[in-house]
Amino acid sequence: MSGVLEQIAGVLYEGDDESVCTLVQKALNEGIKPGQVLRNGLLAGMDQVGVDFRAGDLFVPEVLISARAMHAGMDILRPLLSQSDLASSNKIVIGTVQGDLHDIGKNLVGMMLEGGGFEVIDIGIDLPPEKFVDAIKTEHPDIVGMSAMLTTTMQNMKHTIDALENAGVREEVRVIVGGAPVTKEYADEIGADGYAPDAGSAVELARSLVKQKDG
Amino acid sequence: MTQRFNVQPLQPHISVLSEEGVKAIHKATLEILEETGVEMQDPQGRELLLEAGARESDGRLKIPEKLVDEALSSAPSLIPIYDRLGNLAMPLELGNVFFGSGSDTNFTFDLMTGERRRTTTQDVENLARLCDGLDNIDFVMSMGNPSDVPPDDLYVHAFIRMIRGSVKPNVYVTKDRKDMEDIYRIAVAVAGGEDALREKPFFLHYAEPISPLLIPEESLQKIIFCAEKGIPACYPPSPNTGGGGPISLAGAVALGNAECLVGLIMSQLTRRGTPFLYGMNTAAMDMKTAIVSYGSPEWSLGMAAWTDLARFYNLPSWGFGGASDSKLVDAQAGLEATFSIMSAFLSRCTLVHDVGYLEFGSTSSAEMLVIADEIIRMTRFLVNGIAINDKTLALDAIARVRPGGGFLADNHTLENWKWAQWTPKVIDRKLYHSWVEAGSKDMFVRANDVAREVLEKHELLPLQGEVEAVIADVLAERADAHQ
Repeated sequence: MSGVLEQIAGVLYEGDDESVCTLVQKALNEGIKPGQVLRNGLLAGMDQVGVDFRAGDLFVPEVLISARAMHAGMDILRPLLSQSDLASSNKIVIGTVQGDLHDIGKNLVGMMLEGGGFEVIDIGIDLPPEKFVDAIKTEHPDIVGMSAMLTTTMQNMKHTIDALENAGVREEVRVIVGGAPVTKEYADEIGADGYAPDAGSAVELARSLVKQKDG
Repeated sequence: MTQRFNVQPLQPHISVLSEEGVKAIHKATLEILEETGVEMQDPQGRELLLEAGARESDGRLKIPEKLVDEALSSAPSLIPIYDRLGNLAMPLELGNVFFGSGSDTNFTFDLMTGERRRTTTQDVENLARLCDGLDNIDFVMSMGNPSDVPPDDLYVHAFIRMIRGSVKPNVYVTKDRKDMEDIYRIAVAVAGGEDALREKPFFLHYAEPISPLLIPEESLQKIIFCAEKGIPACYPPSPNTGGGGPISLAGAVALGNAECLVGLIMSQLTRRGTPFLYGMNTAAMDMKTAIVSYGSPEWSLGMAAWTDLARFYNLPSWGFGGASDSKLVDAQAGLEATFSIMSAFLSRCTLVHDVGYLEFGSTSSAEMLVIADEIIRMTRFLVNGIAINDKTLALDAIARVRPGGGFLADNHTLENWKWAQWTPKVIDRKLYHSWVEAGSKDMFVRANDVAREVLEKHELLPLQGEVEAVIADVLAERADAHQ
C-alpha cells in the first residue's frame, strides 16, 4: 500500500504531472484515504524537492515544475479531502508593502510555500498597512509575509507592523519579512517574528513558526 | 506549424587583418623566404629543397614562391583527428575550435597540498584524466616534464601516461627520432596496425624551428618522419616579439609565417597530402623580465592575425589560450585566461593549446584547467549567438504574462530554461549566507574541489593488454640502452 504513495512522491519530484494524476487516482482506487495521499504522497515528494533545492541540487524551474505537478494532483484530491484535512493545512497571507510594485520575488516565495504544504493567500503589491489588517481579519492566517524590494519601501514593513498592533491583530499572527534589502537585524529591529534570506529558507522558517505556535 | 520567425544566429567572430593586410604579410613572407632565406641544418631537408628548386647562397637556402604555392595546394584543409577508440573527435578545419592543455611544464601545483613542485609521471596521467573528464577540453598534452624518470626517456613516459589517462586525442612532443619511433610503435599497437593509425590518427606531433630563421636537423627530421608515417604534425615557430621575432607584431607574424611555411613545404616535399597544422607563436618577450609572456595581448592579437592568414591559405590553424603569467590561480590568471580563450574562440583558431598553464608555461595547474573549462563553456555560449524564432521570441508568453508578474512560473520558462540560459558550474552565484554556509570558498578552492571529484569519479577505458605489453617492451629496451 505504501508503494503507490512512494511512487507519487517520486513522479512528483520528477515533475511528471500526468503520472501524478494517474497514481493519485490509483491510490484512491486502492482505498487509501485522501488525506494520506496528500501527506505521504504529494507533500512527501515536495518535501524532498525542498530539501534538495535548499542544498543547491535543484534549480528554481525544477521546483516549479514539481509544484505544477502537485497542483494537478491536488485538483483531484481537493473535493475529497475532509474538513479536518483542510483545517490542518496552515494558512499564510503574503504581499508586497506600500510603495513597492515588485511582484516576482514575492510570487516565488508564494509558490515555494504552496509546495511546502501551505495554503497561500497572495493579496498583491503596493499594499497600504490596512490591507494587511483586513486580510488578517477575513482570512485568519497563521502567518503574514511581507516583501520589499527597495531600501526606500522597506520602512513600510515597520509601518505595517505598527498598524497591526494599533488594530489589535498583531498577536493573532506571526509576521515574517524578506526581500533584497532586508536583513535579520532589520527584521529584529522592527519586531518581526522571522526573516528568511531566500525563497527556500522561507518555507523552513514558516514551518518552524507554525510548529512553535502549535506546540 | 509554420514558423513566423526563423532567423539563424549570427555567430560572432573577429578578423584583425584586412584583405590588403593579409596580402601584404604574405608578400613580405615570400620576400623573407626568397631573398633572406633560412639556415637549414638538416642535410636531407637541404637535398629535398635544392632538388625542388631552392637555391643556396651565403649559407642560406632561398625558397621561391613556387614551392610555397605547391605546398599550399597539396596540404589538406581538413585534418580529422580521432580519439584512441577510433571515434572522430576533432575535425581540424577552419571554423571549428578545439581546446586542450599544454606540454613541457617543469612544475605543477600539487592538488592535495597546494605545493609547487616538480612534475612526475603520475601527474601527467592525473592531469590527462582530468582533461578526459572535462567536457570542454578536447585534447590532451602532457602538462609536465616528469622528473621521476631519466631525462632522455621523459617524452616517451609522458606519452604513455597521456594515453593511460585519457581516450581523447593528444598532442605529443619528442626529443629525437628514437622517441618518434618508440611512440609510433606504441601508437600502432593502440590503433591496431600501421594502416589503421594512418587512417585514424589519434594524435598530432609538435615540433618547432628556432626563430629567427633556423631549421635544426633534429626538428626537421621529426617533420619528415611524420610525413613518412602519415602522422599529423605542426611546426609552430616562436618569433616572440623582441626575442625570436621583431618587436613589432607585423614583422613577427611575417617571420613566423615564413618559418612555418618551411615546415609545410618540407612535409609536402616528403609526401604530398601530409596533414600539416599551420600556426606560430607571437607571444611578447617582456621587456622588464625577458620572460615570454603567456598572457600578453600580443599573443592573442597575433593569433587572430595568423588565423586570418590560415583562412587565406585555407588551412586549419594552431594557437594558444587559457594560460597565465601569474604564479598562482588568482584574478590575474582568470583575467588572462579569459582574454586569450575569448580571443581564440572569436578568431576561430582551430586547435587552441596551453589551457591550464601558469607562470608563462613553467607550471601546470589542475585548478586552472577546471576554471578554463568554465571560461570555454561561457565563451561558447557567446559565440553560439542568438537564434530568433517563434519559440525564442516567446510572443505567446509575453502576451500571457500579467504586467509586473514575471515569467518565472510561466510554462515557457519551465519548458525552455535548460537550453535558454547558461548555467555556471564553478562560478559562484550563491546568496551571501549560502556561500558562507558552503564554506566561504573562493574560485580556486571550488576548482580544487571539482578537480578532486573528477579524479576520484571519472572512469575511462584502460589500454588493452597488447598495448601495455608493447609499452613494457619499449621501456625495457630503453632501460637496457641506459646500462
